[in-house]
Amino acid sequence: MLGAGAILFLAALQGATELFPVSSLGHAVVIPALFHLGFKQSDPDLVPILTLLHLGTAGALLILYRSEWWRIIRGFVRAALRGTIENSDERLAMMLVVGTIPTGVIGFFFVKPLTNLFGDPRASSAFLIVNAAILAGAEVFRRRDERRRRAIRTSDTAPATPSGTSHVAGDPGYAGVERLTLRTAVIVGACQIAALFPGISRSGVTMAAGLIAGLRHEEAARFAFLLATPIILSAGLLEVPDLGGSTSTLAIGAGAAVLAGVVSYLSARFLLRYLRFGRLDPFAYYCAALGTAGLVFIR
Amino acid sequence: MRPNVLAAVALVVVAVACAAFAVFYWTTKTSLFASDFGLHTKHAIFFTALAVLALIAANFARRAGAARARR
Repeated sequence: MLGAGAILFLAALQGATELFPVSSLGHAVVIPALFHLGFKQSDPDLVPILTLLHLGTAGALLILYRSEWWRIIRGFVRAALRGTIENSDERLAMMLVVGTIPTGVIGFFFVKPLTNLFGDPRASSAFLIVNAAILAGAEVFRRRDERRRRAIRTSDTAPATPSGTSHVAGDPGYAGVERLTLRTAVIVGACQIAALFPGISRSGVTMAAGLIAGLRHEEAARFAFLLATPIILSAGLLEVPDLGGSTSTLAIGAGAAVLAGVVSYLSARFLLRYLRFGRLDPFAYYCAALGTAGLVFIR
Repeated sequence: MRPNVLAAVALVVVAVACAAFAVFYWTTKTSLFASDFGLHTKHAIFFTALAVLALIAANFARRAGAARARR
């Protein structure tokens, strides 16, 4: 039986890690094992609680992008009925649909087997290191591309590219989400399949793929959050009919969902602000450190 | 048949198949593609969504075929 403290801790952990590119599922598996917290993955209350927490995160994303989602939904309905795409809202809606389908289909059939297969703390620690490699690899690719573009541009018109962990804010050399092709959107969306392995971050792989596809950092994060919303929301809603657990657990879970939503909202706002100048490297270092600690200290 | 019309027809067939699966999962206890024997409403919802998406894709393919024919 999960106590109120454990549930609230899970809520804060889920809210902070679901949208940061550091894998919430990996944290939910590794952190309790690493710090010997008194709950296990097999606890019957854990699945309903995690479901509610996911709904909290999805709610935060819906609130964060509320006006955009309203335009996207209207654009989707209009384009679906008409059979053609005529403006950027309709295009974005269709990109989100085609980007969500591969993960939705694979996830629906394979999420439980994969989670059962790789859901032990040491495997998750190893996948956290893989996640670090993905984030760092995307930034290495982006730095090379920035250097190549800078070399091509004439020196008097080119903005200086800061080194280290920052980049040029709103770099005009890179695109917004609406400039992606539908095919690229499918590929970026399909990268979320990797996040079925506990330790690989959904937002992390999508941001990495977005960077490689030529999106600006903050646009890669925006596309990652928009792509994540239907998946997180539907995963949560589909589990609601099966919610078990005691009434008191569910009541605490509902409160925890609100907490997870608030923390998710603040995390997303922070990340969008940070990525206007920052890069993904610090998250890569963090995942590498946590994964290594997991492999060393978890027996 | 033009390729886009063919794609539209194929997508309608996919939509019908998905709809059939959806009805099956709504009405029949089964363990097909599932871990246990029983009514699987999640599977039914999933296949309903796929059927709707396949119909939308068919609409896009049909309109693209019509536009190509006009050119």
